[in-house]
Amino acid sequence: MYRKIIKRSLSNMRDSYLIYILACSFAIGIYGILLSIGDSPSVYIALHWWDSFIYDITNIMSSLFAFFAFIYMIYVGGFFVKQQRNEFLTFEKLGMQRWVIITISFFQTAIVQAVAWLIGLMLMLVFQKFMGMLLFYLMQVHFNFGMYLSWDDLWLIFQVFLISTLILSVINAIKTMRILQKKQRRTIVKTRWWLRIPAGLFGVVLLLSAQVATLYLFKDMRTISYSSRPLMEVAYIMVADIFGTYLVYYGFLPTILNVMEKMRSVSYSGINLFSFKYMKERLFQNISILWFVTELSALALALLTFCYFGYQAVHQNYNSAYPFELAANKDTVKVIGGELKKSDAKVKGSYKTDVKINLVSYYSKSSQSYIRQPMTFMSYSDYKSLPKRMRKYNPKINGHEFLKIDYNSSIMYHNDSKEHDIEVKDAPMIQTAKQGHSFPYGSSMHFGPMMIVPNKYYKNMPSEVKDTFYGWDFKKGDRLSKQQLHKLGNYRDAYYMKVDFKSSLADSTIEVMKKEPNKYEAATYTQAGFLRQGNLKKQFRQGGGFYLFIVALFSIALLVALGSVLTLRILLRDDYQSTQLRTLQKIGVEESEIKGIIRRENTLTFLIPIVFALIQSFAAIAMFDFGRHISKNIVLIYAGYIILYGMFGVISFQVSWRGVKQKFKL
Amino acid sequence: MQIAVKNISKDFGRKRNAVHAIKDISLEVDHGEFLGIMGPSGAGKTTLLNMISTNERPDHGQIVIDGLDLTQLHDRDQAKYRRNKMGFIYQSFELLDSLNVKENVILPLALNRANKKLIEERFNYMMQLLNIEKLSDRAIDELSLGQRQIVAAARALINRPEILFADEPTGSLDSKSATILLNYIQMVNEKEKTTILMATHDAFTASYCSRVVFIKDGVIFSEIVNPGNRDKFFEQIINMQRTIGGGDYFNVSKNY
Ligand SMILES: Nc1ncnc2c1ncn2[C@@H]1O[C@H](COP(=O)(O)OP(=O)(O)O)[C@@H](O)[C@H]1O
Ligand SMILES: [Mg+2]
Repeated sequence: MYRKIIKRSLSNMRDSYLIYILACSFAIGIYGILLSIGDSPSVYIALHWWDSFIYDITNIMSSLFAFFAFIYMIYVGGFFVKQQRNEFLTFEKLGMQRWVIITISFFQTAIVQAVAWLIGLMLMLVFQKFMGMLLFYLMQVHFNFGMYLSWDDLWLIFQVFLISTLILSVINAIKTMRILQKKQRRTIVKTRWWLRIPAGLFGVVLLLSAQVATLYLFKDMRTISYSSRPLMEVAYIMVADIFGTYLVYYGFLPTILNVMEKMRSVSYSGINLFSFKYMKERLFQNISILWFVTELSALALALLTFCYFGYQAVHQNYNSAYPFELAANKDTVKVIGGELKKSDAKVKGSYKTDVKINLVSYYSKSSQSYIRQPMTFMSYSDYKSLPKRMRKYNPKINGHEFLKIDYNSSIMYHNDSKEHDIEVKDAPMIQTAKQGHSFPYGSSMHFGPMMIVPNKYYKNMPSEVKDTFYGWDFKKGDRLSKQQLHKLGNYRDAYYMKVDFKSSLADSTIEVMKKEPNKYEAATYTQAGFLRQGNLKKQFRQGGGFYLFIVALFSIALLVALGSVLTLRILLRDDYQSTQLRTLQKIGVEESEIKGIIRRENTLTFLIPIVFALIQSFAAIAMFDFGRHISKNIVLIYAGYIILYGMFGVISFQVSWRGVKQKFKL
Repeated sequence: MQIAVKNISKDFGRKRNAVHAIKDISLEVDHGEFLGIMGPSGAGKTTLLNMISTNERPDHGQIVIDGLDLTQLHDRDQAKYRRNKMGFIYQSFELLDSLNVKENVILPLALNRANKKLIEERFNYMMQLLNIEKLSDRAIDELSLGQRQIVAAARALINRPEILFADEPTGSLDSKSATILLNYIQMVNEKEKTTILMATHDAFTASYCSRVVFIKDGVIFSEIVNPGNRDKFFEQIINMQRTIGGGDYFNVSKNY
């Protein structure tokens, strides 16, 4: 008999359970995959020089993942208990003992969890290889990922299953007990307009002010290195968005529907008479969930934005540090050229550029002090003849402009203000120079800042030191052997420049020394002899791939969680609400009209959170994309998120309508 | 003659489990008639009403109303026809709890997008006719069962249907409320010339009709016309029920 009861209630809510189980087994599958990839021998062999990094990260990530999945299960599992409220109360009226009902609820949860784990583990076994291959692909490792599951992991998974299922079942049993203890029926939400309308208005004010602050943030973000303003703005935006959204939902959503309901011309036409009331009631129930989903969506979008720009920044930093696979100067070019001939490297492109080194002095605004230092000069046309990737991250200049290239104090935030009044020894003063951070030939090839100058200026200027930079690109790396690299190690420093600063720039001089001075003096600069990407390139790519893998996994999981919460909320109508829909059908409302109500409900439920989330995540873009137009890739990432989210909306509408239609046939 | 039902039949389920709910029924109803359909539980009363009101399609046969063969119409046109010409009263009232009395009653007119003035006019008239003016702003769960059924009747009648279908309208009511409701229905039948088809298993309820057909196991068993005296008609119905057997006077129906 009890078996029958459990079976029946499971099949009654099978659409909802199906979605819940799929979402859970997805999470469980991902958990298992993360866990098992971490200590898979394939990963160990293919990525050995990452050491235990991959293992550590996947382990931490899988625990984090399990934790959030567990919270999701507790939260959503509660929906089902609530849904069965009437059923449980009826059981009690029919004379069933309390502990029996509680036991039924306990086993129902346990069965559902067990099924979810079973499917999840199957998913894990089926997709482990696929995910492993995907990881290798993203990391650009050519290696076959072998399926692997250690007994330790299996045992751990089993333990997690046992404990989590036990806890969940107990929690749901307790929830059932609470339902049986306080039996009051449908609680009618008090409207309290006098509270809702001011609250809603205040919420709108908060949201608007957050948007205004976001606009300021676009402007102020570049000052982050020396001003606390942007951080305060970010903090304000977060607080204002979170509370503002809740207040708007709480105050305005029902108010708008209420006003429309009161307008006779709207509400007396067609099904509106009913649908506004129905929608209002559903919204009342779902306000906090809508809010929750909104904020989490905004968080997901913000995370994606951070990850994207973070990756961009690291990538850019790497690119400007190593624009060529191999770079040399006039002192080392011969040796390196010789070694390259010995190795069978295939040269794809080689470049060379003459530079002049001269002394400069100027007032630096960012460090707020006078600076005197040697600077490397390059002519505009030489700069333009280098591969485009060297200039990509620098501001554009024309043949008459100056560009000063300097180190970056932070990888995320650039100080792009112009530099003024730079004195150059025995050459005209440079009035204005744009600022960039991407060095041709790589930042380590330079001891100090660099200046791109108009051709004529370059030709006419004197120099303390003359040098030539060389750069090579290869097909499949430089193929230098360990021995060769060891030999090249001796040429790491090309020469040293000892600067003798006098009170006037014209009297100051640079002395070039081949040997490193014994005593390190403040005014000694080193010119590097060569620069090599080597393994770094590979490592960089692999790190990027791994990062992408984890970020994608987490954002998809978050999306699945949010989407399924909304879908389940829509599916799990009170008996009372689905009876009303059925009544409508009985009194001659066409099916298409009822479908319209459900579609409207569905659209509202999905549209409201994403719209508010998008408005809020604008602030996240502001933190990184300041000054420039919104980048195409970020728009693509957002569009992808919205499309996946929209798919959940469509599926949820289909399932919801199917469920209602089934009830009609009863 | 307004409604002509010609040799309709309907099965539920398939093959071995098939239930022959209606087996070849033919029936004619005149304009303004108050027809009762009697029979024990499971006789096929609801199924018959559903088919005449185009809520279900018969497997065979025709249903002609005012010369129009409804079985030939598409679902959409059927729904339109239903909405404009028919009203329904159910045993379980089928009122919407989230709406108040007024909103429930005017719903059919609002669905047809009638203008506001007409809605108010018809509403006031209906409330006066059924004598429930003072209920108009009440919530549904504040009403007694009898009041609910009268509100349901007001909703069924508000767009002046030509035909009113009532499936066990007194099934949930105590005898006093049932009498009040039946008096109203009879009055509407006389005043508005509405054709009424009422299914019931209760002899007292059936005695308000002008004619009663008896069905059993999906076929028409016999019919009695009201001789003009309700007590005598009631006796005749009881006798007929005894003849049919199975459906007894005190039976409590559980079908709705
Ligand atoms: N949707 C259905 N599916 C299967 N059988 C049905 C369905 N509706 C009615 N029946 C069967 O058809 C017969 C007639 O039912 P019904 O018209 O509801 O009887 P009544 O209203 O006279 O009590 C019954 O045997 C019933 O079980
Ligand atoms: Mg019936």
